[in-house]
Amino acid sequence: MSVRIHEMNPLPAALHEQELAGYEAAYRNHYQAWAEVLARNVEAIRRGSYSLHWMETGEARWGKRAKPSSRGMTYADINRIRGYGDLPEQATWFNFAPRGAVRDRYRDDMPVIGDYTVTDKNELWAENVITLYEEAKARKWNATRDIPWDEVEALPEDLEKATAQLCTFLTEVEFVAGDFPAKWLYRIPQDFLEVKSFLATQLMDEARHQEVFRKRALSCGGLLHAAPGFEWALAAILEAPTHTMGTFLLNVLGEGLVLSIFRSGEMIAKTHVDKEIFRRCLQDEARHVSYGVMELKSYIAGHPQREAAIEELHRFCDVGEQVILTAFTEPALIEPLAVLLGGGLKYIDQGMEGIRHVWTMFINEYLQRCECAGFDRRTRCTIPLEFPWGAAA
Amino acid sequence: MSALAETTAALAFPSREYFAALAGLMNANRARQEQLGYIDCTAVFSVTEADDDGATRHFRITFEEFSAIAVDEVTAEEATAADFALSGSLATWRTMLESIAAGAGRPALEQTLNYLSHLGTPLKLVAADPLKSDLYFRYNQSLQEFFNASSALATRFDG
Repeated sequence: MSVRIHEMNPLPAALHEQELAGYEAAYRNHYQAWAEVLARNVEAIRRGSYSLHWMETGEARWGKRAKPSSRGMTYADINRIRGYGDLPEQATWFNFAPRGAVRDRYRDDMPVIGDYTVTDKNELWAENVITLYEEAKARKWNATRDIPWDEVEALPEDLEKATAQLCTFLTEVEFVAGDFPAKWLYRIPQDFLEVKSFLATQLMDEARHQEVFRKRALSCGGLLHAAPGFEWALAAILEAPTHTMGTFLLNVLGEGLVLSIFRSGEMIAKTHVDKEIFRRCLQDEARHVSYGVMELKSYIAGHPQREAAIEELHRFCDVGEQVILTAFTEPALIEPLAVLLGGGLKYIDQGMEGIRHVWTMFINEYLQRCECAGFDRRTRCTIPLEFPWGAAA
Repeated sequence: MSALAETTAALAFPSREYFAALAGLMNANRARQEQLGYIDCTAVFSVTEADDDGATRHFRITFEEFSAIAVDEVTAEEATAADFALSGSLATWRTMLESIAAGAGRPALEQTLNYLSHLGTPLKLVAADPLKSDLYFRYNQSLQEFFNASSALATRFDG
């Protein structure tokens, strides 16, 4: 008997027996503590008995009146209140109990979240993180509404394709720029709520960037080519071994490069729409770079084995800098950039001269940012200081 | 030229009065500033005149939250204390302002602040460290719109 494929019954949707069994087993291990809390509470409800323990203020930092500043009520304003703004050097709370709440007496009844692994303040704090968080909220924009999409103009085919290819690259990059903070966000304990809040804004910024470049590409022909070179570079960022190393690679090195590309993008934009897109994006990117620099500075300055930590960072950079070399030698990036810088395919050679300038500028800025953080990379930099275009010709 | 520009006396560029007028326009448009977000920096705009001695005048604007809270003409030494300075010839500034006026508040593609400063010429961005120069990028849209408002002013170039 022959059966046509489209007449066959569909396979049942995949089940998750193994995952569910693992979850059940894990929870059985914790079940006793949970069950005791639940039993106590159920019993009190059945007795019709109030506890009202939550009204006791003996252990609480109660009676405070936070005062807003002219901007409203910021984290900086509430952190001035004694006991609420003290960040631990090393987190010891691995659940969701808020910093400043009465929580010590409940410690043994609470779960421990094993994924909270970034426990050193040194590995995530930056002096400017609260300022940047407030700024990110205040300067947010909307890729649907704030770009004059009705003014998109058709460009000559070479410029149209170059714009679409640049947008394809930027969309690809923005995916990792969102995934990296997302990966680490949930590994950071709640006591570092200011950093978690800032990373949440970075995630939103990157979502908006991939959105705006995808929309721009689809408004001028569509997406063009993904590139293996980018993919390896982006994977190296996502898989960085520590939060500080990854933040250095993404925020200082990677976003530093993307900031240069956005600034170049604004300069070479052929329409007011593109100008607006790049100008909006470069503001967000500069915030991320700023966090990266200050986080690195804080890490180095506060490390108990400063010299050893710096040497470790150098080792990481020897690999990490290849990310930039990989991206900036990928034809799917530098060729469309050169076409846009030159003003057309037939001026691509002149455009390459422009890229030479952008390269030098980017490397100098990168080295200055490292220096500003207390990390002298000048003599150890593995990226050529000059753009190697045509060097072997 | 806007109706406002037609009915007010022309202001000389560069002058403290000119930058004060731009600050006034920014502060009068609070709703737009709240859309753009905080701007917290001290910026210096330096203008090198075209006459024989090529004197440079420096105008320091202090931005805070949604406003320009202070405008001063300062010495070269005082200018170095700002977060960043953007300097260029009077001819460069004049072409940019005339382009903004011609576009009724929107400069030509090659006359935006970033376009003119990206390669270090004809406008040059100077800052003591990269964190301070990054402020120029973090607030770029606000700074652009600060100058875009000049389309509402009648401008006189005496140089």
